[in-house]
Amino acid sequence: MRGEEQNITTATGRVEKDVLAALGRPGLRYLAGVGLCALLALMLFILWGGLALRGLGLSGKNHPVGWAMLITNFVFWVGIAHSGTLISAVLYLFRARFRTSFNRSAEAMTVFALLVASLFPLIHLGRVWVFYYLLPYPSERLIWPNFRSPLVWDVFAVTTYLIVSLVFFYVGMIPDLAIARRRLPGLRGRTYGLLSLGWQGTVLQWRHYGRLYLFLAAFATPLVASVHSIVSWDFAVSIVPGWHTTIFAPYFVAGAIFSGTAMVITLTIPMRRWLRLEPYITVDHFEAIAKILLFTSLIITYTYLVEHGLSLYGNSPFERDQYLYRALGDYRVLFAIMIVCNSLLPLTMFVRRLRRNLAWLFILGILVNIGMWLERFVIIVASLSHDYDPYAWGTYNFSLVEFGITVGSFGLFFLFFLLFVRLLPVLSMTEIKEHQ
Amino acid sequence: MTAVSLSRGKFFLLQLAVAAALALLGLTGGRGALLVSLVFWTALAQGSVAVVAVTDLTGASWTGPLRSELLAAVTMLPLLAALFLLLLWPSLDLYSWAAAPTAWLNRPFFLTRNLALLAAAATAACLFACRSLRQDPARVRFAVAYLFLFVACQSLVAFDWVMSLAYPWVSSMLGAYFFVEALYAGLALAGMLAFLLDRQRREAEADWPAARRDLGMLLFGFSILWGGLFFAQFLLLWYGNIPEEVQFVVERVSASPSRELCAFFLAACFAVPFLILLSARAKRNAGILGAVSLAVLLGMLAEKLVFVLPAVPVRFGVLLAENALLLAVWLLAVQSRERLLPEVGGKAEDRKTGRQ
Repeated sequence: MRGEEQNITTATGRVEKDVLAALGRPGLRYLAGVGLCALLALMLFILWGGLALRGLGLSGKNHPVGWAMLITNFVFWVGIAHSGTLISAVLYLFRARFRTSFNRSAEAMTVFALLVASLFPLIHLGRVWVFYYLLPYPSERLIWPNFRSPLVWDVFAVTTYLIVSLVFFYVGMIPDLAIARRRLPGLRGRTYGLLSLGWQGTVLQWRHYGRLYLFLAAFATPLVASVHSIVSWDFAVSIVPGWHTTIFAPYFVAGAIFSGTAMVITLTIPMRRWLRLEPYITVDHFEAIAKILLFTSLIITYTYLVEHGLSLYGNSPFERDQYLYRALGDYRVLFAIMIVCNSLLPLTMFVRRLRRNLAWLFILGILVNIGMWLERFVIIVASLSHDYDPYAWGTYNFSLVEFGITVGSFGLFFLFFLLFVRLLPVLSMTEIKEHQ
Repeated sequence: MTAVSLSRGKFFLLQLAVAAALALLGLTGGRGALLVSLVFWTALAQGSVAVVAVTDLTGASWTGPLRSELLAAVTMLPLLAALFLLLLWPSLDLYSWAAAPTAWLNRPFFLTRNLALLAAAATAACLFACRSLRQDPARVRFAVAYLFLFVACQSLVAFDWVMSLAYPWVSSMLGAYFFVEALYAGLALAGMLAFLLDRQRREAEADWPAARRDLGMLLFGFSILWGGLFFAQFLLLWYGNIPEEVQFVVERVSASPSRELCAFFLAACFAVPFLILLSARAKRNAGILGAVSLAVLLGMLAEKLVFVLPAVPVRFGVLLAENALLLAVWLLAVQSRERLLPEVGGKAEDRKTGRQ
């Protein structure tokens, strides 16, 4: 009996040691990565400053394409933010054990992606100093924002989601911060002690923690769906051909989960290797998450079929023309890449050997995100380019400023993530120990 | 439940008799009612098999103790395909497009694709059910195949059988809405079974309380999902306010009895399960699960009626009679599952003799 207890103690000690090893002194390669990402993030802010000073003429936006790359980035990053909560909360509710390998990184990814996403409506405004018109401020002077505008719904949805995601991320981490407090010496230990809010791991604390975590998971799950539904309604409540279609809400939610899952895969494969977490994030876990990727890809493909099919079914020439334009018009190459990345390549996940091949999964994760970015671009730009009136048709070409801001947003996101892996425990040690 | 068990032959004859009775009822002025019953029972039968397929595919144990009862619905799928043929083969005059066919909506293609999919789904369901009951490792592949056909079939039920009644009205979500609703219907059927078999299972199955609680949670979750999908569809039609789109909603909420039926199905499919199953105790109680499930199923029947009613007249007496007949067939299929699905009998025998 004593031997068994000792084994458990050794195993739990090893988990703590392995996970907290990431919080040690960073290497040169890590610092170079942080430096590069910081430079890209700096580029984003400089270019944004330029846009604010010199006006939106620096972007490629025009008549009729008034929503373009910046809004594409907003939708893309909100989408990325989705899978974090999905993986963590939904898989917690379904008691899926493989969540422990991904939940912390996914939750962190949610918070960072939301922070990046929330920049884009501000950048897109141009005159960022009047951003408060988006907020529901008290209306003594009867200047209340239009509540029937989905842009106001967006502010509510994204802010609520950010707050809940932050709370969920932080609450889930408290027991692990207490372990870091115990394990790490000096100022770092004291800082983690402060962050762990006096966690002692008593039975009462665990009971309250369990209830709160379950409640947050149950609350966050419908929230995931509602946030991206509202983002989809930014488009769908209009009567623009290609946008006004009832399937948009579930389509956007599935797309968001799809791209978010791909990003989790893209982030965790190198993280697992660099931090030597192979015993905790196993190939079986990647196989399970690859199945989620396949499942969401099938939903997306179903939606493509339904949207394009029904445009031919009904008797609206505008809808028919719009979907033909997407597939065969000015953006046909982007459309073709999108189909290959989102619908065809993920079918390889039906093959077990490929689901377990981490190199292919990593590449597929990147390709899916390229496909999903292009999907948002095609939806937004093609519909505006080819509206009802041929007189108002036009095409869009992005400017270098918009391109730089897009690249910078990736830099900012990866900067946040790189800082996260060195500052906070990347795996839930308490849950891993519980499963052991 | 009183034990009545029919052999395959007798069950086949019963199905023939029921098909003849329903066809007679349907063709003598009750085609609208038969269409509603068909849409409803196709969702129930395919949905309950789909619930087991999802359970097998995810390696979950939610509906494990009710597997054979849910899979008994497989035996109804050929009857439903036959009814579809009997309803629409003579004439497609229920549909306004029949007078001016299009490339997609024309008689030969409409009948062929729907019959082919119904037959393929029934075959896949049979193949999957046999393997699922044997717990054959290959069941996962058959579950995938069945689920593909289930989604395709329910999408066609939505787009062809229902949406095209109001042609050229289009709602791209209707297909997804129908197959999610069919899964919800399958879970509600499992909830009904949990109530009917509670006493028997409580003694026989150690994990019965956990299965009941899981079922309660799934019903609760699906009530939210259903509510979300309904709202997402309704909001866009209402907000867009385009005459050719919103007319579909206006017709249904501005006249009796559609208006009252709308209120009823919203309450029964969303408000009732959501509010009642918020309580953890209610999720574990078989009586409450049964009552909520019954409400959900009645709500779904009312909803299908709302979809069909303004386009095609429905005689309520005929609708009730048809559904009573189909309910009787389903109950007999559940009772006779050991003879209709031989693997169930084999499994029961194994359990008696202590073999796995």
